[in-house]
Amino acid sequence: MNVEITGLSRRFGRTMAVAGVDLRAGPGVFGLLGPNGAGKTSLLRMMATAIPPTSGRLRLLGRDPGSYGPRREIRRRLGYLPQSLGYYPGFTVAEFVEYFALLKEVPAARVPAAVAVAIERVELGGRAATKLRALSGGMLRRAGIAQAIVNEPELLLLDEPTAGLDPEQRVAFRALLRELGGRATVVVSTHLVEDVGAACAQVALMDQGKIVFHGTPGDLAVRGEGSSAGDAPLERGYSAVLAAARS
Amino acid sequence: MTAGAAAASRPVPARPGRWPAAGRLLRLELRHNAMLWLLPVAAALFWLTTYRKVMAMPPLWNLRALAMQPGALLAFVWPVAGAAAWAGSREGRRHTTDLVAIAARPRWVRLLAAWAATTCWAMVGYLGCVAVLYGVTARQAAWGGPLWWPAAVAAASLPALSALGFAAGTLVPGRFTAPLAAVGAFFALALSTQLIHGSQSYWQISPVVSGPWDAGSDPGVATFYPYLPDLPIAQVMFLAGLTVAVLGALALPGGRGGTWLRRPAAAITAAGLLAAGTAVALAGTGRLDAHGMIVIPALHDAASDRPVSYTPVCSHTRVPVCLNPAYAGYLPATVAALTPVLTEVAGLPGAPARVSQAAATYRQGAGNSVSIGLAGPAISGSPPVFRLLLLDQLPGPTMTTSALSAALRSSAGPAIVGDVIGGGRSPSPAQRAVIAGLLIAAGQPVHGPPPGSPPAGREPRMAPPVLAPGSPVYAAARRLAALPASARHAWLLRHLAALRAGRVALAQLP
Repeated sequence: MNVEITGLSRRFGRTMAVAGVDLRAGPGVFGLLGPNGAGKTSLLRMMATAIPPTSGRLRLLGRDPGSYGPRREIRRRLGYLPQSLGYYPGFTVAEFVEYFALLKEVPAARVPAAVAVAIERVELGGRAATKLRALSGGMLRRAGIAQAIVNEPELLLLDEPTAGLDPEQRVAFRALLRELGGRATVVVSTHLVEDVGAACAQVALMDQGKIVFHGTPGDLAVRGEGSSAGDAPLERGYSAVLAAARS
Repeated sequence: MTAGAAAASRPVPARPGRWPAAGRLLRLELRHNAMLWLLPVAAALFWLTTYRKVMAMPPLWNLRALAMQPGALLAFVWPVAGAAAWAGSREGRRHTTDLVAIAARPRWVRLLAAWAATTCWAMVGYLGCVAVLYGVTARQAAWGGPLWWPAAVAAASLPALSALGFAAGTLVPGRFTAPLAAVGAFFALALSTQLIHGSQSYWQISPVVSGPWDAGSDPGVATFYPYLPDLPIAQVMFLAGLTVAVLGALALPGGRGGTWLRRPAAAITAAGLLAAGTAVALAGTGRLDAHGMIVIPALHDAASDRPVSYTPVCSHTRVPVCLNPAYAGYLPATVAALTPVLTEVAGLPGAPARVSQAAATYRQGAGNSVSIGLAGPAISGSPPVFRLLLLDQLPGPTMTTSALSAALRSSAGPAIVGDVIGGGRSPSPAQRAVIAGLLIAAGQPVHGPPPGSPPAGREPRMAPPVLAPGSPVYAAARRLAALPASARHAWLLRHLAALRAGRVALAQLP
């Protein structure tokens, strides 16, 4: 298992953002659904080693991120796209991706090739020399995905990766997700249930800091049978699970 | 969005990686560093505030190097501190904190790369400015060579200022941090000298101090005696220690950085602080030496106290006038100013057979005051030599050739005649009349303020006699001056011994 989480909690002041989450995920694409404020981003940030958990046990890629050495090993094999992507406007796409390749300790000799491959995978090859300030929102998102995958991560964490992408790009992105999920654990946090249905083998639904559903997209769709809230089976399942969790 | 779907895109050329990772990181930072864009501003400031001022000074290596040190520093301080703070605050301003925080490469390496880029560009700009200034001086200077320590102190200041600015940007990553750091660093540096009190002040450690603070850029130092690197060594030690301490401290806040990094970082910070503290303590033990430089006993090399050997440049006049080769440009004006007076006393017993430029002697007074002058008698040795102190050896504004010539006539002239005639500071009426008569004969007025009076603070050793027209002394002086030169000389030869002994009355003058 690349992700092993037991009783994980994270508190921000008086707010319990993540409250005792248990989760295990191996290679494949794992969808993390939930309404705003459910705790998805906090869970992803803990999995990205950006913030430490308040309590609970977290093992990533078979290592404990609480210790410096293992954490550094995890980070070498980790890709992360935050919900709000910060970037340096003066950098070109290639420089931005190269910068993160270097920070992720991709061997220097492999950096140019790794950067080129990552940029091609997100279809920004023609924009490699364009400064980030000149990119559209969707292109910026793709540049963010490129930096996340430049080190061929074994654990890829994507927070709202399809926000800002047009339908054609979303279709292409789902294909990329499936390709990446063939050998790595890809955790995708999203509001868009159709992304989950199209790309994810496993899905978890979070509400108020807790996992209220864990299964396949098919299982989720089944939970919505008989429900009228939503236009698609997954949406109906999503609504039904949430309604059950809150009742 | 897969590798296969990229057919429509132009492929990214993947060149093989030739640079090591740190080099690639530094190259990226160098391309995007704000200091690169501020270089023209720094160069313009240097030109406006330092280059023009220094180039207006006589082409003496010591004078120009000592003036360049604080000037260059004040021109570069705010661009460097500002650019460094801007670089340090980048992650906070651009909201990339989460992205970079999860990188495997330690935070310290990432920050050092950004700091190093700022410092590299600052150093490139500064060294370029120094190269131009020293290059032009090399073509103009008559003697000597560049002083590297003042340039080194200013160069060592840039990494320290950059580190301080960068740390400020890292700690307070706002968009106003950079301008505040720039202004703050400028005023901190400019005001650091206000607390200097005498040559034993700890505040001499400030890198804008290039010598005894009250003497300023002094042309009298480091010409006759070697430049003493005592204070610059302490300053460089302080700046290096400060740089190391601040850079080491940047690694400390990484709470999850691991003890393997925090321990060496703490050790580096402590070592830096120790070096900086030691340097400040050493600066406090400084004292002004007789040659106008700060001596720090623990750093002093006694070999530096030996005078610099040089071959003087001399005039081919009856009484040769010899100057240090650094002042060769002053020789014609000096000869023209002194020859009339030297001609009047030539051949008299005790008259100088040669005029030789001497080194100024410095003495620390109360507070920051420094008295500068000539130690010992003006005429000494056998055959007698008149030891000349050029007014441009003393601190103060540079004089024009005509001003220097006039000032020499009004200061060295009376001194030469006064030393030959005798009477010291309270000559008898007859001695005053003879001194005045000889000066009048040499073309120098002795009533009213003399033309070309030296500037304030550069008072001559012996002021020219000021006689009231119509007074008996004035009348006797006019009579003596009116005599033919041969008659005047013959009378002086016969009566000089009695005149020096004070046994000649005013009425006995011809």
